[in-house]
Amino acid sequence: MLGTYFYHEIIRKTIIGFGTLFNQISIKHKDADGKIINDQRVSLAYGPKQKFLARLDQQANLNKAVQITLPRMSFEMTSLEYDATRKSGITQTFKAVTGTTMKKVYMPVPYNIGFELSIMCKLNDDALQIIEQILPYFQPSFNLTINLVDSIGEKRDVPIILNNISFQDDYEGDFSSRRALIYTLKFTAKTYLFGPIADSPEGLIKKVQVDTYASTNRTTAKREMRYVVTPRAKVDYNNDNTGDLTSTVTATDTLLPVVDSSGFAIGNRIIIDNEIMYIEAIPSGTQLYVQRGYESTTAVEHLKDANINLLTTADDALIEPDDDFGFNESFTYFSDGKDYSPTRQIDI
Amino acid sequence: MALNPFFLQGSRGEQNLIQDLINEQLKIYGVEVTYIPRKFVRKQTILEEVQSSKFDDNFLIEAYLNNYDGYSGAGDIMTKFGVSIRDEVSLVISKERFEDFIAVFLEGEDDDEITVSSRPREGDLIYFPLGQRLFEVKFVEHESPFYQLGKNYVYELQCELFEYEDEVIDTSVEDIDKTIEDQGYIIDLTMFTTTSRATATSTVGQGYIRQIFLNNDGSGYTSTPIVTISGPTDPNGNSVSTGTTATAVAITTTRNNVTSISEILLTHAGIGYTGAEPTITITGGGGAGAAATCGIVTDKRGVVKLTVTDGGVGYSTVPTVSISVASLSPNLNATAKAVVSAAGTISALRIVDAGSGYLASAPTVTIGAASTVGVGTFWFNEVVTGSATSTTARVKNWDYDTSILKVGIVTGRFTPGEVITGGKSSAEYAIKTVGTASTTDNKYEQNDEIEDSSDLILDFTESNPFGTY
Repeated sequence: MLGTYFYHEIIRKTIIGFGTLFNQISIKHKDADGKIINDQRVSLAYGPKQKFLARLDQQANLNKAVQITLPRMSFEMTSLEYDATRKSGITQTFKAVTGTTMKKVYMPVPYNIGFELSIMCKLNDDALQIIEQILPYFQPSFNLTINLVDSIGEKRDVPIILNNISFQDDYEGDFSSRRALIYTLKFTAKTYLFGPIADSPEGLIKKVQVDTYASTNRTTAKREMRYVVTPRAKVDYNNDNTGDLTSTVTATDTLLPVVDSSGFAIGNRIIIDNEIMYIEAIPSGTQLYVQRGYESTTAVEHLKDANINLLTTADDALIEPDDDFGFNESFTYFSDGKDYSPTRQIDI
Repeated sequence: MALNPFFLQGSRGEQNLIQDLINEQLKIYGVEVTYIPRKFVRKQTILEEVQSSKFDDNFLIEAYLNNYDGYSGAGDIMTKFGVSIRDEVSLVISKERFEDFIAVFLEGEDDDEITVSSRPREGDLIYFPLGQRLFEVKFVEHESPFYQLGKNYVYELQCELFEYEDEVIDTSVEDIDKTIEDQGYIIDLTMFTTTSRATATSTVGQGYIRQIFLNNDGSGYTSTPIVTISGPTDPNGNSVSTGTTATAVAITTTRNNVTSISEILLTHAGIGYTGAEPTITITGGGGAGAAATCGIVTDKRGVVKLTVTDGGVGYSTVPTVSISVASLSPNLNATAKAVVSAAGTISALRIVDAGSGYLASAPTVTIGAASTVGVGTFWFNEVVTGSATSTTARVKNWDYDTSILKVGIVTGRFTPGEVITGGKSSAEYAIKTVGTASTTDNKYEQNDEIEDSSDLILDFTESNPFGTY
């Protein structure tokens, strides 16, 4: 039943996001005159490690001259818990787009991940410097925007809540044990776990077609008119580079000097830099007569050797979601008694 | 059984005899350790902590090792803070030897730095040469054995491996100082060790913009605005198809939190401007109000373009650019400015004044030599100072071949381009890049790994209040 392989690395990403909050904390030490004599960043690491790796990394030559270097911070994930308060409908889905394909995504499952940040210092003053740099940001939560699922670009605000602070200062007792100063901060990250993400059978809408009838009685009414809308590219996608300007044109020139005008036709839309133009006439083999600043673009100067690209249906087909585009419209008038079949996609 | 009648059980002579026997025995069976007294640099009141310490003396003393079968203590432990080595030793030293050969020197020290001098002190370090390790004295037991012949003759030092933070260890004994060579917070500075001079060529042209005059510097810019210059026209107002449109860049400056344009420099002075002076449009950048005009030269040649042929190596400051003089009188010499990239190369040259009166042959362009030829060798543990930020640090390692200077105990942030000078060696090199990361060899910290990974998954439109992502 279960067993559709997927792994979004959401928990790992939440761990990284949590760790990032604390990776630039530093402490300063002063001399007797109050002059700063050390400004160091506090080491941070994810606590749990493969044991052999820790020893190979941290004690490669077996003969470490000191016990440990301080201060250090370590964090680890301590719990995973379903958060019923953020539950959403289990059948609810939303659509996401990746490239040109649609994805169908079930609402994520809310989980709380418990984190523990431990701070070990040699001096209480160091610990207080670190703690004071952390606490004011949590009231009691701090929001982190994490890109939880890359494939659907799903960014979620994950609140990190500071639940509890405790510290251990073993200064009492005999002198055979050293004072250990460890602050422990407990956090909850309210993250979301996503299930498998399937390709949606539904595609992107790239064409809208409306047939209008003279009456609402479909058995007797005849269709009158068809209105079709498709996306229209406002930038060149296929870089066809059909021609080049042979000299600079100003913002008002309507005669474009080109190397060869045979690749163009009257009625074509062309784009130079960001300006779209409409070819009204082709007076010679090296000239195009155009309407400048077409489709609300701004007519500007174009330098010699600027590329001229055609905007065609080939470009229209390459429009991606979130691009800026216009619309191609077409109207057809009917006097027949046919109807459009959506399944066969023809008139019958 | 009565006491030995030949002894007084506590006379000065008997006590001295015992002390001498103990001293001799320690010299025979002992290990030669180095006693390093802690000097307080700053002691905090209320919290009662010595925030900063230094260890810059060393005294050799013989000690008997109480641990005959290895270090005591918990040994190597895996903790959430990485591997911690809890080795302990117990050392016995002679009371008389300490008082005669160490205490007398400590007495002469500054009272603020050394508060107790008559006995071995907790917090001092012992360098244990067999393991090449630094032990910190946790506790000094002075009554074991207990008043034999009415006196104590030895101190037992209970020691644990040192917890290192940022203490200065500069005992001038290389073996000792080097024990912390790769410990603590270390920053990698990549220095310029080689330099080469950048070269460039020039192009002359006629009908060009000689100079751009900034009439209004505008205000409120958040990024560099774009400068657009209209194309060349002839005296009849027609565009010159064979000409080249001039291009320029704006240089912004910020005063009193207001960013405005400080100057506009030509990247190409244009060719074929023989008619009216072109218009200069300044757009974008979030600001407004800037306006500029220019003067054109229609009938003489000037330097219209400068091309960097070799960016050179090792530029930390902006070098001068000189262009050979114009020959035809009345002449005006061209001037230009260099742009130094973050990598220390000359990335571009910009024309301030295109000059006039040049011949058709292109004048030579000379870019000043890189000012950062380093000299010398940094010494281990010496204090180095940055010329611009006055940040100081201690040298952990200097590798000329890789040009990497590792420093610890840094007092601030170094910036690329500043010259680092060694306090003792007088070595001088300019910084090329400052390691974003500490590369401590303890291999514990993951700050930079975490940061790099988060770059891919955190939304940058949110800012991190704790620092940069």
